[in-house]
Amino acid sequence: MEKEFQHHLSRMPENSAIKQQKLPAHRLHFSNQAIFTIFFATGAFCFCIGIILLLSAWKVQEIEINYTNICEDCAKMRENALNFDKQCTCSIPFNLQKTMKGDVYMYYKLYGFYQNLYRYVLSRSHNQLMGKDVRDVKDCAPFKVTSNKIPIAPCGAIANSMFNDTIILSYIRSTSEHIQVPMLKTGLTWWTDKYVKFQNPSFRNLSDHFVGTEKPPYWQEPIYELDTSDPGNNGFLNDDFIVWMRTAAFPTFKKLYRRLYRVKYFSDGLPAGNYTFDISYNFPVTKFQGEKAVILSTLTWNGGSSIFLGLAYTVTGVFLWMSSFALMAIQGKMRKKKLSHRR
Amino acid sequence: MSRSWLLCGMKPLQGSTHFSLGNQKVEKRMGCQQSLQSSEVLKVRTIYINDPLKNTFCTNSISTTKYSKWSFLPRYLYLQFSKAANAFFLFITILQQIPGVSPIGQYTTLLPLLVILAISGIKEVVEDYKRYMADKVVNSKTTSVFRQNSWHVIKWHEVNVGDIVKTLNEEFLPADMILISSSEPQSMCYVATANLDGETNLKIRQASLEVAGIIKEGQLVNLDGKIECEEPDRQFNNFVGTLYLRGKSPISVGPDQMLLRGTQLKNTQWIIGVVIYTGFETKLMQNSVKSPLKRSQVEKVTNMQILILLLLLFVISAVSCVGATIWNKMYLENIWYMGISGITPHNHVFDILVFIILYHNLVPISLLLTLETVKFIQAQFINWDEDMHYEQNDLYAMARTSNLNEELGQVKYLFSDKTGTLTCNTMAFKKCTIAGIIYGNHSDNTDDGNENLSRASFCEFNDPKLLENFEDGHPSSEYIKEFLTLLCVCHTVIPERCGNDILYQASSPDEAALVKGAKKLGFVFTTRTPYSVTIEVMTETHTFEILNILEFSSNRKRMSIIVRTPAGHLRLYCKGADTVIYERLSKDSLFVEDTLKHLEIFATEGLRTLCIAYTDLTETEYQDWLQEYKKASAVSQNRIQRLEECYEIIEKEFLLLGATAIEDRLQANVPETISTLLKANIKIWVLTGDKQETAVNIAFSCKLISSTTPRIYLNADSFEAAQQTINHNCGDLGNLLGKENDLALIIDGETLKYALRFEIQKKFLDLALSCRAVLCCRLSPLQKAEIVDLVKKHEEAITLAVGDGANDVGMIRMAHVGVGISGNEGMQATNNSDYSIAQFRYLEKLLLVHGTWNYFRVTKCILYSFYKNVVLYIIGLWFSFVNGFSGQIIFEHWCISLYNVIFTSLPPLTLGIFEKCCSQKSLLEYPQLYTVFQTGEMFNTKVFWIQCINALIHSFILFWFPTKMLEHDMILRHGYTTDYLFLGNFIYSYVVVTVCLKAGLETTSWNRFSHVAIWGSIISWILFFSVYSFFWPIFSVAPEMTGQINMVLSCPHFWMGFLLVPTTCLIQNFFWKLIKNTYKRGLLEEIQELESRKDSILEHSEIFEKRMTAASLAVSFSTQPCEIFFRDDSVDLSAPHGYAFSQTEGAVVTQEELVRAYDTAKMENSRISKRSSDFSEIF
Repeated sequence: MEKEFQHHLSRMPENSAIKQQKLPAHRLHFSNQAIFTIFFATGAFCFCIGIILLLSAWKVQEIEINYTNICEDCAKMRENALNFDKQCTCSIPFNLQKTMKGDVYMYYKLYGFYQNLYRYVLSRSHNQLMGKDVRDVKDCAPFKVTSNKIPIAPCGAIANSMFNDTIILSYIRSTSEHIQVPMLKTGLTWWTDKYVKFQNPSFRNLSDHFVGTEKPPYWQEPIYELDTSDPGNNGFLNDDFIVWMRTAAFPTFKKLYRRLYRVKYFSDGLPAGNYTFDISYNFPVTKFQGEKAVILSTLTWNGGSSIFLGLAYTVTGVFLWMSSFALMAIQGKMRKKKLSHRR
Repeated sequence: MSRSWLLCGMKPLQGSTHFSLGNQKVEKRMGCQQSLQSSEVLKVRTIYINDPLKNTFCTNSISTTKYSKWSFLPRYLYLQFSKAANAFFLFITILQQIPGVSPIGQYTTLLPLLVILAISGIKEVVEDYKRYMADKVVNSKTTSVFRQNSWHVIKWHEVNVGDIVKTLNEEFLPADMILISSSEPQSMCYVATANLDGETNLKIRQASLEVAGIIKEGQLVNLDGKIECEEPDRQFNNFVGTLYLRGKSPISVGPDQMLLRGTQLKNTQWIIGVVIYTGFETKLMQNSVKSPLKRSQVEKVTNMQILILLLLLFVISAVSCVGATIWNKMYLENIWYMGISGITPHNHVFDILVFIILYHNLVPISLLLTLETVKFIQAQFINWDEDMHYEQNDLYAMARTSNLNEELGQVKYLFSDKTGTLTCNTMAFKKCTIAGIIYGNHSDNTDDGNENLSRASFCEFNDPKLLENFEDGHPSSEYIKEFLTLLCVCHTVIPERCGNDILYQASSPDEAALVKGAKKLGFVFTTRTPYSVTIEVMTETHTFEILNILEFSSNRKRMSIIVRTPAGHLRLYCKGADTVIYERLSKDSLFVEDTLKHLEIFATEGLRTLCIAYTDLTETEYQDWLQEYKKASAVSQNRIQRLEECYEIIEKEFLLLGATAIEDRLQANVPETISTLLKANIKIWVLTGDKQETAVNIAFSCKLISSTTPRIYLNADSFEAAQQTINHNCGDLGNLLGKENDLALIIDGETLKYALRFEIQKKFLDLALSCRAVLCCRLSPLQKAEIVDLVKKHEEAITLAVGDGANDVGMIRMAHVGVGISGNEGMQATNNSDYSIAQFRYLEKLLLVHGTWNYFRVTKCILYSFYKNVVLYIIGLWFSFVNGFSGQIIFEHWCISLYNVIFTSLPPLTLGIFEKCCSQKSLLEYPQLYTVFQTGEMFNTKVFWIQCINALIHSFILFWFPTKMLEHDMILRHGYTTDYLFLGNFIYSYVVVTVCLKAGLETTSWNRFSHVAIWGSIISWILFFSVYSFFWPIFSVAPEMTGQINMVLSCPHFWMGFLLVPTTCLIQNFFWKLIKNTYKRGLLEEIQELESRKDSILEHSEIFEKRMTAASLAVSFSTQPCEIFFRDDSVDLSAPHGYAFSQTEGAVVTQEELVRAYDTAKMENSRISKRSSDFSEIF
């Protein structure tokens, strides 16, 4: 009955290679020989890269000083929130045995500070930081408004918990000559942060534009007084602020704090000698069993002194060689067995 | 019609209580009233003839579409969300709308879900539209209907109940009708019911003589009355009605007057009928039940694996929740930077919801869609395949469902119908033995493609020696003459002159073949009158007076005819089975031994044999017998039995003339295909409704069994007997039970009824599985399905049923995969099948090539989809360990949800569509490869876990390597520091690269699409990443992404990791491959290696031979001699018998009545003119 209908359905297909499944194809098959070749080649490559990376990491000069314990008194004081208005400074002398050549960067490092908590990461207002609407505090829970319902600027947990220690590095040329090492406060941020993501409502009369907002509860001065000396580094455009606002991936993280201004004595970098860190200790960390450190480091083309990548490459290379030798030996044995078997 | 062929209405047989024929629900459509229980509640419908206004029944249009315009959306959505995975994602989408609960945004699941629903929606619409168009073609076929006093040609869907319809020869009937009149004598007509019941002999229908002869327009106009009949039901030969014509007494009508939709008019110039059932109420449509939804083994395993993943998801969520609780206890009070509200802990239910949303992508959202797309295209490949294109009918293979593509690669048991599947259902007189001399071409041509030629010339008998011997006065020439005369005279064929040619109408294809054969040899049967037969031999005409016809029945296995020869002698001609004829041979009979030898030869070749014998009767002998005969025919009780007893008296003292051998022509390449499939470790069972002898014949001719194969016959007439035989045989097999032996098991339907009883069914199955070939004969459609069901239940193997007729529908639907042979008249099988092919031989390509490829592809695609999702989304768990289980996600929201939709959507598709384990050539050359897939070792829970663990290791490397790299923080130029998303983008990029390269490793056959998919996916991520980093603040999405691209790409660490991380991930895959290559080298690997080495053709065969002997040990049995000692007498070790004959039995019109009804001598002159005048009257 439905013969016609059958006929209709069987349209004439063109005999294209696709339809007949005869597309030219390359057969990917790995013989043992091919795999050994791959192993040896990759192994050699990885090993070389690894050595290069390790060498370059070793060239980096780095000094890390954990000052949580050194400034124990201050730390203790900061555990009590009532002491918020009290100053506490702490001075840490250290000796640089070799000149740090080239650009030197100063980082602060926090241990055990979870900048990656879900509700912490969420707690910011992009619209506010863009300068579009300083009163937009929609996503900033739990630091949206003050107890008087006045919107906070900058709102949110991230901004509120901004790192606020001041670290000053002094070069002790001689016992009498203490030189404050010149450091740059700007140029610490990604270009897009400074020019796209963060904008002040206006350059002029910054404070006027924050009328009707309140400073974050843990802050000592309002946003428009972060750097009164440089309007380009004030308000939301403050480099330290921007750096802080880029939330770190791990509970232990470094953030760029200053870079060496290479003038006078420091045109080649930090000369060897005695230095002190003068730290005004404001940021409490001991409460959450955290620690703080300050770091001075040079950088190579591949960044800092991390040797992980170099090690990983080297180990991979070595592993590949070793395992292929082992497997070859096993295979040789098996082949012999087979041959003798056949005879 | 004596046997009940009822498809669905049949009550379950005794002893098989737990069986039903699939889903018997019939869709209610078009406002048609259904009365499924009509047998219980006898409702009567009254039909007013030729008065359409009074008849309010459903129209004759049919619709097989799934949706209508309005029902589409609700039905479609219901269908989609009844799939567990989709429902799960809907649940997630709803959860995400709860404020604050979703760490990955509100719409990130909704969007992919919508995309996926939209795409499969479009597919549904397209498919349904195709169905709609197909229906339209059927609905707009034309037929002529008598309305307003003249004949109108109208479309089928305009036919109404009560219409008077005229159908011409070879046309299909548009609706169920009551036969009123026909062109043939006594208002008879022939119909082919192959569409409905699969029977190949023509059925005879006869109108009630009271209404016969109403053919003239005037009479039709006056035809006024009504028909009362039962409400429509689904039983083909069940109908009771009464015809009330004005001015006449009521006439009862039954199934013999009923013409059903779907049957085809044959050998009848025209018929006129009154429509009683239309459209969905026709018996054909009532029987067309919706195909049951078949799900493949792979799909079941996949669903299981999705469930495992869901479980895993809950476990991970719970673990994270516990982690969160612990972390909160330890730290939460002291983290002043989270403010006071940070301290208030959330409840656990909320937390667990957060984590479920966080990790929910472990379940691959796109898997279902990917699979659907892949399978759809695989199905198209089957449809497009030129190798499965039957050019004679211009028929392509057709995948009617795409669900089962991969199932084709795992078939273990093949159940095949015989007629029309293995055979073409055309008979040809091939050979004969006359007076101990064998004639016929000995060349063993089992046909090669060009059947059209041979089909046109029905008879292939072309041995000139026969005629030479006859004409040259060979000593046997008298016998030859007698032999051929017998062929011309002893039959029930009706000749029909058609110009100069004579066409023969016969309900028995064997007889037609013999008469045609005789005609070709110069013995032309020209005329039949009620009491004589005229033949023309060498321009001389001889007329034989037909005195009696001793009818054929399958009990008697013979038919005889008593004639008075032109010379005035009384003679009885007989043809029948060798066994019955030999019993009745007279002592004087010659050539007994020679003929027997020849019969054996014929039988071994699988030819159907009939012995030909005659005996001369004396006048008194005949007269005495005639008395007996008249008495017997007058008896009202047990008349048939009495008649048969009576026949027995006179059928004796036969003189053997010889034997004929008819070829039941096999379809092209059937023996080759069967041997290939056997090599592929597929067991072939032949299930046929036909007789035992015929089935055995075919088994021989298609080389399923050889003449040395011992044959176990299970023919029992009681349960005890059946049980005893089965037990005996099982006992004889002893240790060999359960292994494969070179044995053939032959069982008939009656015995099977007992064998399928619960008590012995297991035993029976054991016995059957120990045999190389199983033939089941005389099966009802239901029994065919039962056997399939039995194997399906007790064997964990995929079954495939192939058939062409409506009687195969049951098994086609019952089997895991149903294949219909299309192109014959019947469409029932095709319509109920999952795949339709035009020829049996295409199974080879369908299974070995498409099946293997599809299975390989689908499983790879599924495993890969799981892999890629686990790799990416388990990273969320690793990150949780770093972020205090706070639910923070490491990637950007939209990157997560686009992972499945864009960045890694193509590799699984190319794997699923283009991947090839090895070339078509290898697959066909080495069918043993099929066994690699048959076992299902490529895809099971173990493989799934291995893949998951692999994914876990990859994700571990992919998370912890970048983490360690970035932990130091000082990695950017100018000392810039980074954030969590910077790490996220590192990881994400590495994941995309690793996952794409993994797809590349999985791909053994790289074509240009693989390149596009793999490199394209990587590039697409980089492009997206670049663009997306500039979205903010133009679009208010992804402020975190701003500037990421510059920083990531300019970071040396990124590029160093780019080389290292994917390498470390993938190197371990190489490692495993190496180990596998060394220790666990399979057949597949061996052949893959051969293929990749193009230059090593010489080695090719050598290696393979070595391999083959090992591999085929388990498969081959022909080498193993059969040393079983059978005590049971059911085992036949002798040479085969070749007798087979098919003839209608117990029809309305007996063979004798039929023969007596025709007078072709009268017609000879007048018939053509009469017919044309009939036509002119009609039109």
